[in-house]
Amino acid sequence: MIIFTQQVLTTLGWIVLALAVSPMVWLLFQPYFKGLSSAERRAAHLLRDMLTVEQCRQLVWHGYLEVPSPSTTQRVYRVPRGRGYVQVIEHGRPVMRLCIQPVESLPDADVVILHKLMIEGNEEYYLQKANKYLCV
Amino acid sequence: MGMLRTMSRRGDDRITWDQQKLQVGDPEAAAAVREAERIFAQERAKGATAFRIDPGKPAQRIETFDETAEQIVLVPRVVGG
Repeated sequence: MIIFTQQVLTTLGWIVLALAVSPMVWLLFQPYFKGLSSAERRAAHLLRDMLTVEQCRQLVWHGYLEVPSPSTTQRVYRVPRGRGYVQVIEHGRPVMRLCIQPVESLPDADVVILHKLMIEGNEEYYLQKANKYLCV
Repeated sequence: MGMLRTMSRRGDDRITWDQQKLQVGDPEAAAAVREAERIFAQERAKGATAFRIDPGKPAQRIETFDETAEQIVLVPRVVGG
C-alpha cells in the first residue's frame, strides 16, 4: 500500500512538473510544429527571452499577456497573443480598448513584446498614440 | 555580453559585443559597438524607441546608446490603428 501511494505521488509530481514547464516548451517548439517562417521563429525566441515563466504560461493558456501600468495602480493592459485590441482593465473591469500598431509589419510575437516594452517604458507616449474606444 | 536587438519584419536582427574585451581595447569588440551605435542612431532617426532590458526589472526607455547594457531592444515607431 505504501509503495502504491509513493508511486501515485511520484506520478502526480511529474504531472505537476510537466504542466509547469509546458508553456515554455510550447513557446520554444511551436514555431517548428506550425512550420513558421524564420522571422516568426526568431520573434518567438525573443518572446521567450523577454517573458517570465508565469507570463509565458498566461500567454499560452489565456491567449493574452497582462502588463501592469507603471503609473496607475489597479490598471492592467491585456495584450492579445494575436492581432487585436489591447484591453485596459481598471479595478478588474475593462474600461477601454486601444488600437495601436507598429508602422512596420512585425511577426505577432514581436508585437506582443512591443506592447510590453512601450507600456513599461513609455506609457504616456503609448496612450497618446493609441486610438481609444471606451467600454460602456 | 552586450546585445542590440532591432525588431523588423525579419524577426529581430542582433549585434553582440563582449563587454570584458571592450574594456581591454579589443578591436573586434570595439568594431561591434561602433556598428551597434550606428544602427541605434539610424533607427532612432526613423522614430524607433530604445529600451534597456535588465533581468527581473521593467524595461527602461533610453535616449542614448549604452554599451554597458546587457540588452537593448529597438522597436519601430507606433501609430494609432
